[in-house]
Amino acid sequence: MPVLGRNVPHDSARGHVTGESLYVDDIAPVAGELLVDFLWSPFAHARIRSLDLTKARAADGVAGLFTFRDLHHNLFGPILKDEILLAEDVCTFRGQPIVVIAAENARAIREAKNAIAIDLEELAPILTIDAAIAASSFFPDPRMIRRGDPAAAIARAEHVLEGVFENQGQDHFYLESQAAIAYPGELGALTVHSSTQNPTEVQEVIAHLLGLTMSQVVVLTKRMGGAFGGKECQATHPAVMASLVAQKTGRAARIVYSKDDDMHATGKRHPFQNRYRIGFTRSGEITGAIFELYSDGGAYADLSPAVMARAMTHSDNAYFLSDVEIRGTVCRTNMPPNTAFRGFGGPQGACTIENVMQEIASVLKRDALEVRRANCYQIATRNVTPYGQLLERNTLPRLFTELPARCDYAKRMDGVREFNATSKTHIRGLALTAVKFGISFNTKFLNQANALVNIYLDGSVQVSTGATEMGQGVNTKIRQLVADELGILIDRVHVMITSTEKNNNTSATAASSAADLNGGAAVDACARLRERMTPVARNILSVAAGAPPAAETPQKSEIVFADGFVFDQANPAKKLKFEEVVSAAYKLRVSLGERGFYATPRIDWNWTTGGHPFLYFTMGTACSEVRIDRFTGEMKVLRSDLLMDIGRSINPGVDRGQITGAFIQGMGWLTTEDLRYTESGELLAHSPTTYKIPNINDVPEIFNVDWIEHDNPVNVYGSKAVGEPPLLMAISVWCAVKHALSFVSNGDIPKLRVPATTEEILMRITQYARGEAQLTS
Amino acid sequence: MRDHIFFYLNGASQKVTGPAIFETLSRYVREQKRETGTKIVCEEGDCGACTVLIGKQEGNTIRYLPVNSCIQYIFQADLTHVVTVEGLSKDGLTPVQDAMVRCHGAQCGYCTPGFIMAMHAVFEEKKTCSAAEAQRGLTGNLCRCTGYEPIIKAAMEVRDEPRIDALYPTAPILRDLSSAESAVRIGNFFKPATLAEAISFKAENPKCTIVQGATDVGVWRNKRAFESPSYLSLSAIDGLGEIALRDGALEAGGRVTLAQFEEAAATHVPEMAAILDRFGSPQIRNAGTLAGNIANASPIADTLPFLYVMNAELELTGRAGVRSVPIGSFYRGYKTLDLAQDEIITKIRIPTPRLGEILKLYKVSKRSHLDISSFTAAFLIRMAGGRIDAVRIAFGGVGPVVLRLPKTEAFLQGKSLDLAIFEGAGAIAREEIKPISDVRGSAEFRLQLGENILRKLYYALAA
Repeated sequence: MPVLGRNVPHDSARGHVTGESLYVDDIAPVAGELLVDFLWSPFAHARIRSLDLTKARAADGVAGLFTFRDLHHNLFGPILKDEILLAEDVCTFRGQPIVVIAAENARAIREAKNAIAIDLEELAPILTIDAAIAASSFFPDPRMIRRGDPAAAIARAEHVLEGVFENQGQDHFYLESQAAIAYPGELGALTVHSSTQNPTEVQEVIAHLLGLTMSQVVVLTKRMGGAFGGKECQATHPAVMASLVAQKTGRAARIVYSKDDDMHATGKRHPFQNRYRIGFTRSGEITGAIFELYSDGGAYADLSPAVMARAMTHSDNAYFLSDVEIRGTVCRTNMPPNTAFRGFGGPQGACTIENVMQEIASVLKRDALEVRRANCYQIATRNVTPYGQLLERNTLPRLFTELPARCDYAKRMDGVREFNATSKTHIRGLALTAVKFGISFNTKFLNQANALVNIYLDGSVQVSTGATEMGQGVNTKIRQLVADELGILIDRVHVMITSTEKNNNTSATAASSAADLNGGAAVDACARLRERMTPVARNILSVAAGAPPAAETPQKSEIVFADGFVFDQANPAKKLKFEEVVSAAYKLRVSLGERGFYATPRIDWNWTTGGHPFLYFTMGTACSEVRIDRFTGEMKVLRSDLLMDIGRSINPGVDRGQITGAFIQGMGWLTTEDLRYTESGELLAHSPTTYKIPNINDVPEIFNVDWIEHDNPVNVYGSKAVGEPPLLMAISVWCAVKHALSFVSNGDIPKLRVPATTEEILMRITQYARGEAQLTS
Repeated sequence: MRDHIFFYLNGASQKVTGPAIFETLSRYVREQKRETGTKIVCEEGDCGACTVLIGKQEGNTIRYLPVNSCIQYIFQADLTHVVTVEGLSKDGLTPVQDAMVRCHGAQCGYCTPGFIMAMHAVFEEKKTCSAAEAQRGLTGNLCRCTGYEPIIKAAMEVRDEPRIDALYPTAPILRDLSSAESAVRIGNFFKPATLAEAISFKAENPKCTIVQGATDVGVWRNKRAFESPSYLSLSAIDGLGEIALRDGALEAGGRVTLAQFEEAAATHVPEMAAILDRFGSPQIRNAGTLAGNIANASPIADTLPFLYVMNAELELTGRAGVRSVPIGSFYRGYKTLDLAQDEIITKIRIPTPRLGEILKLYKVSKRSHLDISSFTAAFLIRMAGGRIDAVRIAFGGVGPVVLRLPKTEAFLQGKSLDLAIFEGAGAIAREEIKPISDVRGSAEFRLQLGENILRKLYYALAA
């Protein structure tokens, strides 16, 4: 029986529940292994006046201290190559590594840190988007997407809306902090276990900074204890530091960040400040839109230009904009380099226009759902994105029709109005938002993958791909794909540790596309293996049974691999065990290993002419209802209903978990996760005591998750990527808060920042209450 | 006097002595035993990834409760049976583990062992589990992947979970543990068997730290490299671990845990039980003590406003004998106590609301559960003839210590239940408090809460 489409448990689930699964820091230390840590800049911007390591080097148990002088190169970066690993004369963010410390134990590390004599001169930092704009501190190059004449359209619009949407960052808060172990090998080679989404990038940067060839470095990733984008680029730093120690000392070297250091030193989801000017009709249809996006990229570019590209290509979200201009500028500040985080700019772009929908509804005193429907992308018309991609197989209109019916939207909206008219103590809000998330890396060349499939003599199979497992179940999906492609039981298929030795030049496990790309490559390998095994099987079957009389053949002859057997569908009674065919093929000297390759077809795009950056879109609608305490600002999500188009699900259990997990994670960003800093840029919320990700009690009281039946013929098995898109559905919660505030805002458009914390909500309510008092007095 | 710590770990006896007794349980199992299922994430008891079960004798049984092993030290494990994820099953999966596999309760897996242990703790106490019970039992465990929904579902599917004592028969373990001498002295750690010894030790070691649950001390050690010249444990002293209602007051011994307090409050002061439900997590409440919450003297301690309005009294025992201090005069300033060097909090006496008295408690935090308060408030009100006959008000998070609000109280005295009155009281309350801005909220936010909470109180009373 095929396993695709079935609810197969995660391939590591058993190890996870028994504690048997190994993560980097669970690997037993080898003899002589060193602990690695680093001294980081305590200031957001500072000049290093002097650095004296003499005393620290002499401390008991210290094996070595290293600075930028010990590196072959010090400059790297995924896009701009502008990042300095170890500060030279100037520190450009708080948390930037200056000195790498290697010691026998944690106590010696502490003593060495205390014994480092460093003299820093604090320089004026740039800590906010406003400050960066004032100082014209930007990364190259500002970008623009434009269609039609939005300025003219706005000038003649019946209504014009202007505003600013602002969001804070978000810490990834993967449970397993950044970690790596480097083992020195022969002739300068290194083997590195890294908790990374991007083993190839780790390999490349280690080789570059340490003066090795990539072929001298093997990077392995068994699994990560969560990543969410935070280990796409920023896993590189610890891996290089451990590798530097291994190279210099000839000893194994382990680095594991403490949760606090991790939160202080690593980049986060980008804060954005998005200005908008919207022209619209009295029925709420947008006729012209101008968006000006600014993000806080932090001290180095990291992935910020790509994040901005996705924010810009998701500023339309589910809505057709005939005349539109979207400009994007990445600010350079003295914050840790902000980086990939599930959604990758998409949430910031989409939340801006969902905010606009809510505000248009406020202006027109209409239901925001009507406004959204009036602007939703259609099937035959109003179906081209601002960057010129035709929306194919668009299910948004259907999702916008089905979800309100399923969740009883109209009746509940009446209920909310009635409640707010009578309750003295609470207000409620209800909002239904959408997501249209483009799948494929915006950078075309990243859309490739390779896979190695080895069949062993007993018929069992190993698969290796560049996909890394961080809990999202990519290995389980690949396992299912391979099992069905070879027609064998899933227990016979093992997905191996991700290794740059097995799969070269891989792309990051990112952009939700790991199963699409690596699954596609694995399917390609399996198809070729089947192709080579087919004549072998045909030969055995014909020798054994003789060809059946053609006239009585119900089916045309074709060799089929299914349920652990190989047979001719013209004569299904005669079956060979898969391993029999394997054995025969081996003896006939037929190769039983194959490397598959996949390159996403059809995609092409550039900033000037636009095009088709995405293979397809994952879509959904979400409706959330919230209740707010008028006196304290405390907010509770009473109910959320999510309806998605995720194509044909390869694994409903895995996909459902991605949806619930992304939604709650998005809700955290939009509500409780509050990155507070001091005026000098020191992060105050740097551990779970002060940084509040959603807790089990924050799950909506009623939480309905479903998807529609829909095929996606352009992707493997007809499936769709599901990792990031549902995070954007949490915007429904934030919009519901905004909706609730519209009942106390005295007719004004209620303003709200991200995150809508208890404090943010209460201060908004208070502001409106004071306004009312002024009016009546 | 015993010179080592003696405990069981997954059915095998352990003896630890010397400086190693100050190792955390999590590091002990990971580094000494090479059992790495127990994960270390936050090292401050706020994520639950390190959750283990700690089994303590209760009569002829061992009761297994979840605790955070990253802020539990080996010396605290003395005479207990610690069970980690590796110790749950000799072969195959337990029903809890099986349900978590089937329901996709694990994604990245890093939080999973902690969830498994916390969920097992739930089934130590009950046979089946509702969604609400799962949320309550798993409050102390953070998951960043699943959105919790699959985990709640898994908990609800568990049937016929064998209890820990089915795997590890209680009698032989208890026999072995109870054969050990109760008093322990290892270096600068002392666990005396009598109160008198504890008091002399504290007198002789004035800078010593009493460590019971270590929910604060553990964080200081892990995060601030805290070292005390000596550590005193009250675990072996009889009579300090009980809580009971006597003459209308709850009397809690000096090492009564917050979990015990919560259990008693559920019967006698349900309003307080609701606050305790949001105090930390089961793991924290099983370790931390009421006396510890009082002695740590945080202005945002969740128990304090309640204790203030109930006029709780602390029984302090020292060499000179026993004296009683009202909670309201125990704090002399930020983290400064009316506690002599030789004194120990041996009892907390908390009058419960009398007939006709209304108790209202509020806690505002960024996140509803497993969060430290931004603001707390307690009100005790007696109504007579439609008027406020007497009122006591205490706020937390609005100054260096928990504050009573005498002006607001005086204003409300004799007033009727009227919204305008309470709004007026709110304005006075706002003037009486001096909050600061910090990571948990701005001063302005807290001022507004101080004002608004009176209106919230009005609607609660009017309802």
